[in-house]
Amino acid sequence: MFSRTILTLVCLTVGGSLSGPAARAADIAKGAEIYQSACKGCHEVSIGPPLAGVVGRPVASEPGFGSYSDALKERRSLVWTKDELDHFLAAPREWIPGTLMMQTVPDAEERAALIAYLETLGSGSDVEEGTAALSIDQPVIVAVRRLNESQYRNSIRDIFGADIEIKARFEPERREEGLQAVGNSDLSMTSAGFEQYFGLARSIAAQVLDPARDNALAACSQAGSMDEQRECTEAFVGHYGERLFRRPLTSEERAVRVHTALESAARDGDVRQGLQLALTSLLAAPEFLFRIEMAEPDPGNPGALRLDGYSRAARLSFLFWNSAPDEELLAAAATGKLYQADGLQAQVARLADSPHYEEGVRAFFSDLLQLDGFDNLVKDPAIYPKFSQVVADSSREQMLKTLVDLLLVQQRDYRDIFTSNETYINRALAAVYRVPYPADTAWAPYTFTPDSERAGLLSQVGFLSLFAHPGTSSPTRRGIKLHEIFMCEPTPDPPADVDFSKVKDSKAGTVRGRLLDHMENTGCVACHRRSDPPGLALEHFDGLGQLRKYENGQLIDVSATLNGVAFVGAGGLGQLLRTDERIPACLVRNVYAYSAGQLPAPEQAEFIRRSTREFAGDGYRLPGLMQRMAVAPAFFNVLVPEGLAATGANARDAGATGR
Amino acid sequence: MQRKQAVLQGLLLAGLLLPALAHAGWTRSWVIEWNEPAMYYGADSGVIDPGSDCPAGTNPEIDWVEVLVRAGYSRAEAEWLRDPANPTRSPRNGQNQMAFRGEGRANVYTHPETYPDPGLTGVSGDIGEGFDLDGDPGNGFVSPEGERGIDNAFYRTLGCWKTYRGPHRLSGGALTFNDAMRNGGWTMVIVASGEGDDERNDDNVRVGIYLSEDKLVKGGNGEIVADYTFRIQPHQVFEGIFAARTEGGVIHSTEPSPRVVLRDPSFTRELELLQARLRLTMQADGSLQGLIGGYRPWMPVYQGWVDARGPVIESLTWVELPGVYYALQRGADYSPPGSDGERTHISYALRVDAVPAFVMEPDASREVAQVRSYRDVAEEDNYKAPFAGYVVNGIVPDRSGKYYAGPDAVILPPQSGE
Repeated sequence: MFSRTILTLVCLTVGGSLSGPAARAADIAKGAEIYQSACKGCHEVSIGPPLAGVVGRPVASEPGFGSYSDALKERRSLVWTKDELDHFLAAPREWIPGTLMMQTVPDAEERAALIAYLETLGSGSDVEEGTAALSIDQPVIVAVRRLNESQYRNSIRDIFGADIEIKARFEPERREEGLQAVGNSDLSMTSAGFEQYFGLARSIAAQVLDPARDNALAACSQAGSMDEQRECTEAFVGHYGERLFRRPLTSEERAVRVHTALESAARDGDVRQGLQLALTSLLAAPEFLFRIEMAEPDPGNPGALRLDGYSRAARLSFLFWNSAPDEELLAAAATGKLYQADGLQAQVARLADSPHYEEGVRAFFSDLLQLDGFDNLVKDPAIYPKFSQVVADSSREQMLKTLVDLLLVQQRDYRDIFTSNETYINRALAAVYRVPYPADTAWAPYTFTPDSERAGLLSQVGFLSLFAHPGTSSPTRRGIKLHEIFMCEPTPDPPADVDFSKVKDSKAGTVRGRLLDHMENTGCVACHRRSDPPGLALEHFDGLGQLRKYENGQLIDVSATLNGVAFVGAGGLGQLLRTDERIPACLVRNVYAYSAGQLPAPEQAEFIRRSTREFAGDGYRLPGLMQRMAVAPAFFNVLVPEGLAATGANARDAGATGR
Repeated sequence: MQRKQAVLQGLLLAGLLLPALAHAGWTRSWVIEWNEPAMYYGADSGVIDPGSDCPAGTNPEIDWVEVLVRAGYSRAEAEWLRDPANPTRSPRNGQNQMAFRGEGRANVYTHPETYPDPGLTGVSGDIGEGFDLDGDPGNGFVSPEGERGIDNAFYRTLGCWKTYRGPHRLSGGALTFNDAMRNGGWTMVIVASGEGDDERNDDNVRVGIYLSEDKLVKGGNGEIVADYTFRIQPHQVFEGIFAARTEGGVIHSTEPSPRVVLRDPSFTRELELLQARLRLTMQADGSLQGLIGGYRPWMPVYQGWVDARGPVIESLTWVELPGVYYALQRGADYSPPGSDGERTHISYALRVDAVPAFVMEPDASREVAQVRSYRDVAEEDNYKAPFAGYVVNGIVPDRSGKYYAGPDAVILPPQSGE
């Protein structure tokens, strides 16, 4: 948030009146915005053809796209000239009746901007033409990401101990590009949220400095002379400041808190009270509540930036442990070992060898699979009486236990998550699956039997109930989420004028029939023919994920066809997904996006492709993937923020100077 | 009869010795989600309204001042004892002094015979639920289905007490005790196993009713969820084994089970049934509904109410407990062998609603495949006392000694100026 605000200010500063190349750049930029909001949703996920090189291309001629409407196929003699595109974008279905294209761009200026942008796609044109020259000679902030709840809790636990109670309501998260980790890069904090964090800071500080706790650093109260007390306070603030800020404090940051502590102690005669104030200040500081990633000039690559050592440490630690760096990792950052291949390799190996690694993997998949949805999952109790919050929580835990066991403990092929019938259940889930629970422990390993029709994560109650409606299943929702989560292919929102009444009439026939009726609307076909088949294959599971064969008295058909491949049921879907190349590539993208808080930039495409190839070469094993990516130099590459001159003011604004 | 019992015991022994060898042809299992005394309800609605069972409605509310005056207290003392401002009526002390209204101010809960029978309105209707326990169709109620000779003296005796009266699953007592069970107080499971191919029609069926330490679980609609798993808790007391057959999906006991003990939905806790029978119907939705009956000892029933804190029970449920005592004594209709002819037991039936469940062997290793007794593997010390509350002789004494209740208690506070 800080960086975007600063970026905006800098852009405004270097803007001014535009003409010539600058005016064209502005057009292209505007067109890029329109593309992002109106085109990308379909044309980057195979619903519509790719638009790179579309200007000047014959109609319906993209060789890799097989879903052109008959109307476009019949016009293959035409070429997408700028004029033709202008007519088409103004009113697609009037210009070419029968096209599946539903997006219109009525404003002529906007069409011109969009076409100008489309011209740049695939042509090698630089959209950044006309931006200000860069001067990179000082550290710059390249990302500011709010800690999420689990990261906050884990950090406090690891820094102060598991006995610290954290009672607070945290600010809501936001998911972007399928990940909260990306959304957190765009989050600020409300005043109410800050009050919560501040109250929490006071509570934690009070607990840490509770005389009943054996806290050696809090022994400052025993210090005799003023010098001893200052020394002890500086050590206290320095130690906890470094752990909380994930880097050493600047001299100013340390001095102000030491001064506060000593002044309070002198005034009230209570050293602990002073330390408590200092610790509260650290816990409520943006430098703790936000992960501020800093980049510095790369000495080996003039003009380029690299993530600094402490930011590297934090990125690694939150990826592998979902917590703040420990002292050893901070020490490695301080001594420059994280810039060196062997030093980095040693730390990554240590992180991956730790019991905390499981927490990192769980956090990653919790975000990727959108498991936060279980916190407010609602089911109609009249339809699904077995549902309860216990079932919701158990479903989430089942998915995570399954993933950890398959991918971390057994180190199986990642694609096995779509086909494996090995899982864990507890007593509540056994009731939903209608199987006995043969154990006297809270959880037990379980293997789905063939007659259960269950295979893989998608046939677990968690996925099936999370991506369904409160009172019915939803093939569309399940299909959309499958594409979004596992193939990195989001689906655009439906047109505003769609009549959903036929789909919603859950008393009539099977959902397959209702969806077919729904797809009489040509505006819906393009997305539904991609999203629905996987969901229809899962229709033997109701809105809670319970096995069923009939809906409204009619036998449910779970056969489906996707991209010309026919399959049947959850088992068939799992086998199909296991061979889909988009799935491992999507995981690689998401591991990067999760750790970096942003999608890979075009400059990192080769890194992602190489990582995907190595992932395949290693048998699609997750630990290997994460460790290889984390030691690759490209993992810490920093793109020069567009239009941003790296200035000292930038760094000072975030209180990060002097490092 | 003795021969049949010997055969049954032989079967039980065989079951114990060869549990792994003698696999049942089929096994079904349920968990009891509701149970209540089978009290046929003859009114249209409401608990206290008149009906064919109780033409005058339930026992009327009692004027306790008059009761105390009849017991020898002065009117001023009686009114003081019933005055809500009286500190001895605090929640801690209840109306303890109400216990002392027997002859010589004896405690009527522990010595009901010191108190004249105040009477208790019983059921006067002809329809009742249960079993023909004595084999005499000319003696007893007619069942709602028309079967004659239904023995349910418990119902005839207490069926107009508002604790027990009400439509199915709506009487105050049933709601109270089933709430306790459904909230995790106790769990009983039912297993039926047969050796034939058709579970709905099998002449050789056994039914076991067992305790489980696994709690019932409520779903989003507040009802007990089906398909949960329960481990049998071997118990030296609580268990029931029945020889039975199925006919059209109805499980009938084929001969009386000499003695079974279930967990009673009442303050009594143990529902011991002699000459026990059952008739349970497997419903299309997988649930099980029906009756389990037999002769139960009546004194523990009375004692259960006393131990639940006599004055509170009397005030809230509109009965005098000595009246319950005398009524049960009058209604008792069975003398077990060796009881010298004294009618220590009363005919009784329990309504049971159960939902499908998975019932496991005690070690949770596998589902129960065949009904058998687990008493021989029960730990010796797992029997729990009937009532764990601090109730002494039907009242909760004030441990501080500030408020004394007893035969020689001074009732009225000192007058000012004295």
